[in-house]
Formats: sequence, C-alpha cells, structure tokens
Amino acid sequence: MVEEVIRQLDELTMLMVVGAAGATETLELLAGIEKSAREAGCAPAADAAAELKNRATGAARTTPEKLEQIVTLGIENLRWALAGSPVESQAFAAPDSAIAQDVELIGDFVNEAGEHLAMIESQVLLLERDPTAADPLNAVFRGFHTIKGLAGFLDLGDIRAVSHEVETLLDRARNQELLLTPAIIDVVLESADYLKRAVAWVREGLDGKANEPPPFGQLLERVRAVLDGKAVAIAAASPPNKTVEKAPSETESASSLRVDAGKLDYMMDMVGELVIAQSLIAHNPEIRALESGPLQRNLQQLSRITAEVQRVAMSMRLTPVGSLFGRMNRLVRDLTRKNGKLVRLELSGEDTELDKAVLEQLADPMMHMVRNSLDHGLEGPEERIASGKPAEGTLVLSASHQAGHILIEIADNGRGLNTEKILKKARERGLISEGQNLNDTEIFSLIFEPGFSTAETVTDVSGRGVGMDVVRRQIMNLRGRVEIQSTPGRGATFLLRVPLTLAIIDGLIVGVGAERYIMPISSVREMLRPTAEMIFTMEGRSEMAMVRGELLAIVRLDQRFQIAGARQNPEEALFVVVEAQGRRYCLMVDEMLGKQEVVIKSMGDTFRDVAGISGGAIMGDGRVGLILDVNGVFQERRNG
Amino acid sequence: MATSLLTPTDARAGKYLIFHLEEEEFGLQVQKVREIMGVQDVTKVPQTPGYVKGVINLRGKVIPVVDLRLKFSMPVKEYTPRTCIIVVQVAGDRGPMLMGLVVDGVVEVLHVAGADVEDTPCFGKEVEIPYVMGLAKLKGKVKILLDVDQVMTARELVRLDMSAAK
Repeated sequence: MVEEVIRQLDELTMLMVVGAAGATETLELLAGIEKSAREAGCAPAADAAAELKNRATGAARTTPEKLEQIVTLGIENLRWALAGSPVESQAFAAPDSAIAQDVELIGDFVNEAGEHLAMIESQVLLLERDPTAADPLNAVFRGFHTIKGLAGFLDLGDIRAVSHEVETLLDRARNQELLLTPAIIDVVLESADYLKRAVAWVREGLDGKANEPPPFGQLLERVRAVLDGKAVAIAAASPPNKTVEKAPSETESASSLRVDAGKLDYMMDMVGELVIAQSLIAHNPEIRALESGPLQRNLQQLSRITAEVQRVAMSMRLTPVGSLFGRMNRLVRDLTRKNGKLVRLELSGEDTELDKAVLEQLADPMMHMVRNSLDHGLEGPEERIASGKPAEGTLVLSASHQAGHILIEIADNGRGLNTEKILKKARERGLISEGQNLNDTEIFSLIFEPGFSTAETVTDVSGRGVGMDVVRRQIMNLRGRVEIQSTPGRGATFLLRVPLTLAIIDGLIVGVGAERYIMPISSVREMLRPTAEMIFTMEGRSEMAMVRGELLAIVRLDQRFQIAGARQNPEEALFVVVEAQGRRYCLMVDEMLGKQEVVIKSMGDTFRDVAGISGGAIMGDGRVGLILDVNGVFQERRNG
Repeated sequence: MATSLLTPTDARAGKYLIFHLEEEEFGLQVQKVREIMGVQDVTKVPQTPGYVKGVINLRGKVIPVVDLRLKFSMPVKEYTPRTCIIVVQVAGDRGPMLMGLVVDGVVEVLHVAGADVEDTPCFGKEVEIPYVMGLAKLKGKVKILLDVDQVMTARELVRLDMSAAK
C-alpha cells in the first residue's frame, strides 16, 4: 500500500520536473496521495499531504512558480514522512523562505557574496576617482552579475532584484550610454550596503535566527530614477545599522577541525625548511665520509620521516572534488526546473582530490560552464526528439588525475557549438575581420573573448556576455587551461586542466650567466640545441628561429634581464620553446640544470609587479630561485 | 611640522638599534627590528633598482633585501665580516612585511630620551627626506633616526625602476 503512495509521489515529482503539472492536476494528485497514505496507515504522511494540499490550494491562486516551489519542497517532506523520519514542522511551514533550502549552498552564497561585495566596494572607490576606467567598471559589473545569478537560483528575491537593477545601470555605463556621476556612485554604493545587510540577514537565518529582512526603502526606485536619467535626491541619512555582533555558532564534527590557514602556511614553510635541512645534512661530505652504520641508518630514517611529514603536510590542503560537483547537482536541478529541459547529471571521479584553494576558485567558472551547457548546449525535449535524440539530455561532470594535473570535463550531448553563429557574432563585435580564416579550435576560443555572447535574451543566469571571458581568466589564474571540443548535433565538452595545487609546480631549472631561474614545465613545449641554419635575423634586429616548420621569435633572457656573462652564440645556448597565451616563442638560456618540484612562495607586495617573474621558491640548497612568468617575459620584449 | 610641536619628541623617544654606514651612525626603532643575520647568498631580482640586492630565504619566507649604502648613494664597498642584514618589519600595502637591510655593522642598542632628539634641519623643499625622523645627539655623536616605513616603501622597489625605464 505504501508502494502506491510512493508511485503517486513519483508521478507528481515527475510532473513538477517536467513543469507540465497544472494546478488542478497537482491538487488532485495530492488528494490521492493523502487518501492512499491514510489507507496505508501512514498518518504522518497523510497529514503532511493534507497540509501541503491546503498550502498548494492557496498558492494556486497566485502564480504557477509559487505553486511549483511549494509543492516541490512539500514532496521532499512527504518522502521524509513516508520514510518514517519526523519532519521538522518549521522547515515545512516556511518553504518559501530561503533558509529552508540547502544549508551548504546558502553558506557558500554568503561567503561568495561577501567576497564580491568587498571587491565591489574597493573597485567603486576607484571608479569614483575615474568614472571612465574600464577595469573597475567591469569588475563591479561582474560582481553584481554574479550575486544576481546566485541569488536568482536560491530564490533570494530581494537581493536578486537590487543586484539586477544595479547591473542594468552598470551595463549602460559599460556601453557608454551613461556617465557615472557621483550621485550614481552613491546609489551603487548604497545598493552594495543594502546587499551586505541582506547577506548578513541570510547568514543569521542560517544560524537559526529568524529576523526581519532588512528593508529596501526606496532603493529600487532610486536606482531606476538614475537609470532614467533623473536627478537623484540625496538619500536621507540611513538608519544606524543595529546589527549586534553575535558569536558564530560553530558546530564542527569531531572528525575534522578548522585550522587557521596562516598556521597551515607557516607549517608548510617550516616543513620545506626541514626538508632542505635534512638534505643538507644527508649530503654533507663530512657526514658521508663517516662510515658508521648506525648513523647512516638513522639518517635514512630521518629522510623517510621527513618525506612522510612533507607528504602529509601537502595533503592537508586537499579536498575531494565531490563537494564542488554536489553544488552543480543542485544548480542543474534548479535550472532545469526553470527552463523546462530534461537533463540527467552524471558524476564521476568525485573522490579526486584537489587543493582547497583551487577548488574554491573552480566553483565560479564551473558554474558558468554548467549554466552555459544548460542554457545554450542542451536542447528542450521537443527539439531533442525532433533530431532523433532521447528527450533527456545528459550532462557529465568528471574529474581525473592526469600527469600531475586534474582534468575536469563538462560534457553535454546537446546541439554543440554553432560555428556559423559564433563567427557572425564575432564579426559583428569586431573581434575578427571579414576575411579571416579560422579553424574550429580558434572559432571556439572566440566565445572566451570579453563581451561575447550568443544568447539572444538576457536571463537571470547567463546571457549578458559576461561569463566565458571570466571563466578563461579564472582558469588561467589557476595556471590551468580550458579547451572546447564540439561536434554539431552531438554535443560539446569543456575540458579544464588545472594544477593539483597552487602551492607546488613542476619546474625546469635553467641557468643564464651566474643566475638560475625556474620555468613552470606546464609552459614549456620543447627544448633544443639550435643549429646555425635554424636562425634568421630580420632587418638586422629581431631574431627568429625555424622550429618544426614554424617561425618563432627568439627572446634572449640575458638581454631581457640584463644578466652578465651569458653565452652569446645561439649554437652554444639552449632554446626553450614556451607557450604564452597561445603564442609560442623561443627563450634562449645557457643550459638546463635540472628538474625539480618547487613550492611557490609569494614574493610579497614588493615584487608583485616585476615583469617576467611570477614568484619565488626555495631551492634544494636553501637559496631562493625565481620563477619565470613566460608571458611577462614576452610582453616585456614587445614593449621594450 | 605642526604635529611634532604639539607632541614634542616623545613619539620618537625609546630604544634604538644603532648601526653604521661608513662613519655615520643611524638608529632604527627596536620594535621594528626582527633579527640580525650575517650576509648570505642573495638571489638577484631582474628589473629592480641597483640598491635592491634581491631576495633571501628567511626560514621559508622570501623577503627582499636592500643595500642601505646604495640606497643612500654612498660608495660601494666590499662586504666585511662585520657586514650584516638587519631584518625589519615595515608597513606594506597588504599589511606588515619583512625586509632585510644590508648595513656595514651593528654598534649597540641605545635608549634615546625625548630631550635628545632634534628635528631634521630644513634643507629646502627639494631635499625633503621623509625617512629621517630626527637627529639624536648622544655620546658626542649625532645619530640619524630613521623611519623605517619611509626608508623603503614596497612600491618604491619596483616603481622607481619602472619610471627610470620610461
């Protein structure tokens, strides 16, 4: 008998997912569920169904969305009731409050929104000084855009509404239809302040404190007034913010504990030093000369322990990718609910471990790409059936180790990328010229250009032309790469290659004069000893090398960095073919000294802006080695 | 300086680490000094001004090292066994940071009373020296008290060179 209730529930769930459930049909089904639950002797479920039916009847008079929302949450409660687990009546009583939703997801939202708001504040202040500066304007715009997107699918209506209006405002400023006067900046900052209060309110809700949401006031009206070009009345002094600081209620499970990241970093530094000290002792000639068996055994033991300590210290920052995939799960569910598509999400390799910092920075670009697949890649059920595919589309998220990197694939079996459409758009936007011939890879990479979007409509989640450029930049910041594979009618795959951790790189150590530098192996394509025939001099100045039929610019590192005593004859030197932002060139160095995994150290504020150097690392002998930024080296060459 | 008139010199009183370059003696506020170490292998950083010697490994942290002789336009001299690096904490863009200063040698730690400190004489507007907090006359010698946050701002290490390149 319970089976009957479950069958009816499944039917209702399916109707909700397809979005085909009318109000009457839903109510009928609920009545049926209540009846069969009573017959099955499952009173809690019957009561829950009855209550849901009442709520649904009320909601049916408002909007279909509201009904859908209430019923969806109600179904979950019903399943709990059926399983015999008591359902918290509070969660059931407030299905339309955001807090009833996935706590983890909202926690993420609170953190992410907080970061964006902090960034917005600093960038707006830059804008205040120079209202036409493109970079801060874009950054602020993206910040509001992201908050809007997140709030949109968490159904945080007020936050979404405010950020949407401000985004529209900033979009016009981006298109130079509007100059950011101080009055407008005020409104933007005020909106950011409101969002801060709203986010704080959401967080309080998470902690189980039901407060009144912060009031809008006339914020929306004022944003719209500015949009319409009307003068803005000076805002009345906003009421003092009466947020009382509350101690966060920490509920940690016993199996894990929160550690200050600074302490962890300090420990990593010390472990690095330990490894160096250990290796200096082990390789000390005087100690090696001592032919003492016990000493050698003790040294070996020390080396084993050090290696183990290092391994454990490194692994402390690693977390399985599954938590990130879990967030996508929810995203897919909510988006398909909205756009009426049928999508099955398949996950694989959730146990693959990644540095937490990488994982956190992957969340945003992944969300964009999943949205992209759901919005543009996968078709609706009718279109799929018409093209001979199963009505349900598939989105596969998979993670795997690949040669020291993590490969993440986001594959859909939708319509694939439309090269014609992309080319047309790119020409319209002036990204490529009329007669330019591009291969598929080059065409696909156009969608990563700033301001490129093929979406026809502006939606909550994607389609304003921000997104893919942000994706590429974020992935590149992770020292990763993103590629697209696509077959028309068969689907598209985004391939993300990111390093396991941001803390370590595989380095190639090269010597130039008395100096040595570390080159990330990820940017090295090949190494060769040049012959005289390979080298060409153009106009007596710029040197080029013919490598495998490709003419590459030669950059002499000693000239770039003014290093004395380097080999001047290319035939005695070593060419390292490197790739920087899709372009290859030859870096001329004296010799290769070795290969080493190095822990990246920040060079601090001081040398943040040194062109061609991306960081430092402690070498095996305890000295500092500098990590080359092959991109910066090349750009410096062009400027110089 | 109006502020120094209102709070006469007491902000500048306190313990100073005295070091010397050539015959001149300088003082650094002791609370800014983290440690004193011998000269060690410094890795050069390209495209930085000459007085930036480079970076060293301070127990796993990469910190910049500045040669104060070169910074103060004094003649280059071979390092001696007395040459050392004073590691100081300075204000950076993103919070405090450590920096090494190469000096000829450390002399002593002195207590400087407010009454011992005199304001920097004015050499005219062109030669304003923001990193000198004042002069202390002690034991018959003048010691130049340095404001270490001004001696070397993080930006300066890179920016100076960038403007020179243009």
